Amino acid sequence: MSTLATFVKQQRQQKSMLLMTHVIYGYPTIDESLQMMTSLLEKGVAILEVQFPFSDPVADGPVITNACHDALENKPKLSQCLADITKLAAEYPNTKVLLMSYLNPILQYGFEALAADMQAGVAGIIIPDLPIDHHAMAAPLVEKSVDPIWLMIPDMSDERMEFVSQHAQGLLYCVSRKGVTGQGSDSQSEQSQLESYLNSIKKHTDVPLALGFGISTAQDIQGIVGLVDVAVVGSALLRAYQNGGLSEFNEKADELLTVQ
Amino acid sequence: MNDQGYFGQYGGSFIPEILYSSQQELLKHYREAMADPSFVESVKKEMQQYSGRPTPLTHCANLSAQIGGAQIYLKREDLNHSGAHKMNNVIGQGLLTKRMGKKRVIAETGAGQHGVATALISARLGLECTIYMGAHDIERQYPNVFWMKQLGATVVPVTTGSQTLKDALDEALRDWTASFEDTHYLIGTSCGCEPFPEMVAGFQSVIGEEVKDQAMAQIGKMPDKIFACVGGGSNACGIFLPFVGTDTELIGIEAGGCGDGVGEHAKRFHTDQAKFGISQGFATMFLQDEEGQLAPTHSISAGLDYVGVSPILADLSDRGLVRMSSARDEEVVAGFKQLMKAEGIIAALESSHAIAGGLREAAQLSPDQNIVINVSGRGDKDIFTIAKALGDEPFKDFLATYLEGEK
Repeated sequence: MSTLATFVKQQRQQKSMLLMTHVIYGYPTIDESLQMMTSLLEKGVAILEVQFPFSDPVADGPVITNACHDALENKPKLSQCLADITKLAAEYPNTKVLLMSYLNPILQYGFEALAADMQAGVAGIIIPDLPIDHHAMAAPLVEKSVDPIWLMIPDMSDERMEFVSQHAQGLLYCVSRKGVTGQGSDSQSEQSQLESYLNSIKKHTDVPLALGFGISTAQDIQGIVGLVDVAVVGSALLRAYQNGGLSEFNEKADELLTVQ
Repeated sequence: MNDQGYFGQYGGSFIPEILYSSQQELLKHYREAMADPSFVESVKKEMQQYSGRPTPLTHCANLSAQIGGAQIYLKREDLNHSGAHKMNNVIGQGLLTKRMGKKRVIAETGAGQHGVATALISARLGLECTIYMGAHDIERQYPNVFWMKQLGATVVPVTTGSQTLKDALDEALRDWTASFEDTHYLIGTSCGCEPFPEMVAGFQSVIGEEVKDQAMAQIGKMPDKIFACVGGGSNACGIFLPFVGTDTELIGIEAGGCGDGVGEHAKRFHTDQAKFGISQGFATMFLQDEEGQLAPTHSISAGLDYVGVSPILADLSDRGLVRMSSARDEEVVAGFKQLMKAEGIIAALESSHAIAGGLREAAQLSPDQNIVINVSGRGDKDIFTIAKALGDEPFKDFLATYLEGEK
């Protein structure tokens, strides 16, 4: 089994829910983004997702999109990003570090080179504009035991869920609803729809599940305990940072970590 | 094209998973529609009765004499309803939207021509319409924004990134990820995921098909060369595709802008600033830096400064079936003026790139040779930009007086 999947399953022996937090490399500066990462690692988040910014992030909502454009002003380099997060991963072995970016920056770096540079410390990668149909492009990563983390979405056909499940390893990222990142929604009927959606995924795979999009509070996380293994929080932490700097960011992280 | 929407190494579908089922649905409906003679007939009828097709092929005797080379003919897409070739595509996709039973369309626009065309067809077909337009482009093309709004469209300024066409396209894609159940993404150029490049180029191919008939009737033979400006590439695909593999040489003219530096032009060919890349749903040549970040672009015409290019044209260029060239801003303004004065035709600045390229090469040909230049749109929309480019002082006085009168 993949080390990421093993890690999640082991952690889940003690915790009802693992937290996956998100930081944009280079926002607002490279140093400050590394500070945010260190802070989350100190707090012991289970998974840290580091987004390498791209100029045209079509799957992201306005909060992350604007932050990515700000981050790009600092001219971040993927090679340096990988070196920085590999170092952090080595210092904090109780957290798994993942990379998230779009296809074009990865393509220019090269999947082979990326696999070689991720192998040491970055457990997996999320590429939202790489559909499962092109899974062969990610083969060099799989060869080096870096897990491509594929997406599941609501209303996916059974056939396609099975297709994704066949390639799933490490973790599956389940998108909770349509749309882009950073917009919440909640109602009773949505909760039952969510449950049936997640149950249908579980029929196809026993790879651990992460749920993302629209999770912004400890209460939201509490609401999905028992449904998935990992809660993904992205825009909410970024918004906290924008409202009140590192101290509000830390408070938000502490709040999210109260669900254990 | 192969069965996954590839044109050589370009094209394909690289979209977030959330769009997969609506893209598949579109593909199925598009294939069914094109195999249905009644649908094809309804598109043809609307092109004739709403947009005024066929558009003429105009011989420019004065301009040809001035240049002293080939006979110059213009394909007059500027005479379409809405004043540009964009109408061909929105008629096709608008009728397809109705056929799919969707109630709303979204579109991206650069110069605003596609936005206006989409707003027009939406009004006619009773579709709700939202247009995404870069905030920077809105500043340059407000008259088009005015008409979109008057037609009942919602115009959303896009303030992220470079605030131009590529960002408008990103934003339209984001809307689509949340709205695909009742919304069709009516893309304006032959870019994006399968089947958009093929579909837009297909609806635009009426341009080249007409040129074939008109050339036989008016010249008695096929033209030696055809010129078209290339932004996203829809007017070029439209006039070129029916001629691919024939003896007619096809030349695309990109925006040379004001220089060769990064951000000074929108050339995706003959520059090492453009590389094979995948973004915005498809693979093509994208202007980008060494980290794969898409680069800023510049052109005197808002409609040509797109960072990528149609995968169909990228492939035809690789295969030597289309030759890509470019024209700089000042050359474009000169070509614009020369055509206007010689023939009384006001071409769009986008189309004036093709004119500049055509005039440059016409001079090297003999009077028994013939070239066709695609006038993709009319230029009266560009009155503010052109008045500025021509340094027209009374225009400034007019604007000042107009604003004074509003106070």
